Amino acid sequence: MHKSRFLWALCLPAACLSQSFSGETFDEELAIRALPDGKVASRFEFSTLLHGASPRNPRNLSSEDDSQHYTLFPLALGQVLRRYAVTELHLTLNAGKWNYDRWGYPDEPDVATGASMWTWMAEGSPIPRHSVDARWRDLRNALAGLFCASLASLDEQRTTSPVLAFVPQGALPAWPQTEPHALRHASLPSEHVCTENLTPFLKLLPCKSRAGLARLLNPHRLLDADWHGMGLHVSWLPEEGVRVRLTFQSVTDPLRAGNTRDWSLSSLFDRKIETACPVAASSRVVVTLPTDESYSIRPEPSFVGQGRGIFDLASQPLPLDVGLHWPTAFQYTTLPTAQSPLSVRRTLHGSSQDHSTLAVSIKNAGPAVVRVAYLETLPWIVHLYLHTLELSVDGVSRADVLHDLSYTAPIPHGRAAALEAVLDLPPNSTVSLRLGVGRAFLQYGEHPPDAQRGWELPGAVVVVLPEHPGNDSQRRIYTSALLVDPATPDFSMPYNVIIFSCSLVAFIFGSVFNGLTRRFVVIAAGPRAE
Amino acid sequence: MKSSLDVSLVFPLLVAGRLLLALTSLSDALKHNHQLSSPLTSYLNLQEGIYLFQNGIDPYSGGVFRHSPLFLSLFTTVLPRSRVISSIIWTLSDALGAWALVQIWRTRQRVAQTSRDGLIAAAYLLNPYIFLSTLALSTSTFENTFALLALMFAAKGAASPALLAAAFLLQISLSSVLLLAPLLLLIASSPISQLASPRPFAGNGKKIISLLIEFLVFTVVLTLASALVSGGWSWVPQTWGASLTLPDLTPNVGLWWYFFTEMFDHFRPFFLMVFSVHLLIYVAPVCIKFQYDPLFAAFILLGILGTFKSYPTMADPGLFLSVISVFPELYPYLRYPIVTTLLHLHAALLMPLFHHLWLNQGTANANFFYASTLVFACANGAALTDCIWAGLRIAIGEPQEGFVVVQE
Repeated sequence: MHKSRFLWALCLPAACLSQSFSGETFDEELAIRALPDGKVASRFEFSTLLHGASPRNPRNLSSEDDSQHYTLFPLALGQVLRRYAVTELHLTLNAGKWNYDRWGYPDEPDVATGASMWTWMAEGSPIPRHSVDARWRDLRNALAGLFCASLASLDEQRTTSPVLAFVPQGALPAWPQTEPHALRHASLPSEHVCTENLTPFLKLLPCKSRAGLARLLNPHRLLDADWHGMGLHVSWLPEEGVRVRLTFQSVTDPLRAGNTRDWSLSSLFDRKIETACPVAASSRVVVTLPTDESYSIRPEPSFVGQGRGIFDLASQPLPLDVGLHWPTAFQYTTLPTAQSPLSVRRTLHGSSQDHSTLAVSIKNAGPAVVRVAYLETLPWIVHLYLHTLELSVDGVSRADVLHDLSYTAPIPHGRAAALEAVLDLPPNSTVSLRLGVGRAFLQYGEHPPDAQRGWELPGAVVVVLPEHPGNDSQRRIYTSALLVDPATPDFSMPYNVIIFSCSLVAFIFGSVFNGLTRRFVVIAAGPRAE
Repeated sequence: MKSSLDVSLVFPLLVAGRLLLALTSLSDALKHNHQLSSPLTSYLNLQEGIYLFQNGIDPYSGGVFRHSPLFLSLFTTVLPRSRVISSIIWTLSDALGAWALVQIWRTRQRVAQTSRDGLIAAAYLLNPYIFLSTLALSTSTFENTFALLALMFAAKGAASPALLAAAFLLQISLSSVLLLAPLLLLIASSPISQLASPRPFAGNGKKIISLLIEFLVFTVVLTLASALVSGGWSWVPQTWGASLTLPDLTPNVGLWWYFFTEMFDHFRPFFLMVFSVHLLIYVAPVCIKFQYDPLFAAFILLGILGTFKSYPTMADPGLFLSVISVFPELYPYLRYPIVTTLLHLHAALLMPLFHHLWLNQGTANANFFYASTLVFACANGAALTDCIWAGLRIAIGEPQEGFVVVQE
């Protein structure tokens, strides 16, 4: 009797564990592919699915929420999502510029330089703190704390709501008596991504970085990569539930260390996969195999198909150190145009500190007309002169490529500008767009601490619009950030300026009133005593 | 010599010369110049607002367009928008202003024609502060024209046209409300120079109330028209509000921009109030002191506006300097005209130079330009106080041998 009770007690935790898993699934995947220029792109994806869950209706924000018990789903994140009734959330922290011309499209489309965030939220009850804007502000602050990033700087002065560029990846619930969902987007290109952001990222994973693929997330190697970025993507899939995807992408250069483009997990990350994450439903490494060259891969993949070798951690002997070897020397090849037909260049011209010209050229190397949406979001310190808009195709002025234009004007000290232009890019040609840009003069306290360095303007986004509406595969191209240097006042002498100006005003005021109030008299000037 | 200043010859010549100048590409070079156009008067911003308006975007929803809706309605319906035609319209507005100034002079002298007419037209049309602003297509040209038209009609005793012009002026520039009091006094009395014989206000005081009511009616009608054109009231904080709250700190020749760039945040509202009220303080004393010559009071308030208004351009002090030509009786009593002239010369040369060095060349900093605007304010202040002195000093006349004139 005693023995059986003891056995039962032993089984209890295991039983609980397996039961609580039933509502949550954790999958992890590492995809590695060689890029045409010899670099290696790797993408980690940690996906947690909360079965049957749905986003919180902001109408019910005043009432008590359901209690939250998660085993695999990150609690810290779950609390934030429920508290602010977020339906869809995308947060990315990237360092460097994704080179579309050489690397093609990234696996995860959100590669904006610096911090970038966009959410879809529904309008809540009439209480002001339940409005979309109030929740968007609180959400930024909460995530800033969670990820140790300056997301609080993504304030109203950087927030925009573009219409075309950011379609929800999941579904948006249609609640009765609730207004439709609204998008909030903001980006901060000057955010530096570093270890302090990676550590809280790892803490959101069920196995942290101790087991499974996350073991490979070695900050020394990842932050040394040519390009790296992490992302958090929350979306709602009505059939399945709420899905949280934590992604980490990096582009490493094996040619930097030697003459060979051979790579292995230990050469890329300086680590091997020692143990599998026991709670992961699936855990695999996917390697894109070269198509027209000889190569050798070791160990043997569990499964090969569609040009990919798949290693399942459940069936592979551990520790696992996947490696790809080319017997031939590296030949530099350019990217086939079919993979990246569009090439975008964006610059700011002009030597003056009060006005300049924004020049954008979009090259379409493909054989067909491509319809794109060009999105420009600018902080209020620069404003566009739309009446100076010039469009030309291969140097010939043509206004008909502009299909539609929407513009939100900036408000000084308040709101960012958003320009969304739908352009039809003719085949095999370059469309250039030129716009006059005015720069604001900022108050003494509005300049950043390193004022002479200037402000980074977020990159523009070119969205390839699907030919048939409803097709949600949307491709985005982010351009690099631009630097503007607004004119600076002298920071050392506010007192002097206040004193000088006030003195002058007082002097003229005094002189005027001296003249107006004192009477003129004629007096005899007696002979001077000598 | 006298025939060379004959207005029927000089005026068309000057206007023709100005039109030729307007047709050159000078205005493209000057349209970005911060001394010649402020954010409230800039042609670029006007074009931007018109473009937004025509494309169905509310131009007042952003922070760029700060012109009156009257400009929007004019340029989207009546007036064409080409740059060359704009230059011609601006120049003709200047010509109208010069003609009004000549008319003011003639009315003040109570003669149909004088030998100084041509000189006065030249003082307006050849004033570099004014004609450069016009070349830069700054809408302060229209402010000046409306101010001169209001004064001209008031001097001639045409009450309704004067008040209508003043109401238009108020629509495009809020701080011009300072001119209202001397304007009403001028309509109720006469423009003839009384500086030499001060006496209590001689006009019909009761008339002023009805004039004020008429002005208010005009203003309400124009304000409603503006609201109708722009489809709401969002233009009020963007146009009138801007000259009180200074949301745009683009450098100009005035005293406000750098002061409020450097101002500590928690003192900003207080000093905005102080600077706005400071402008109003002058109205009553100037009008009381010069109640016998309201045209002179209006002239002094033009000088105050040119020195202290929130978004001045070169054209504002330029108007004051050109109007001096209507008061030749002041000249013998000015104490330091040479110093004032040299201060103006100093500021007029240094401001563009330091502005260029700061914003284009990058070899100077903001203090350079700020210092030159201080000199410019000194120059305007010197001209102002000297004119007040001279205007009061005339009454005493030349002292006899052995006597001196002093202030009590």
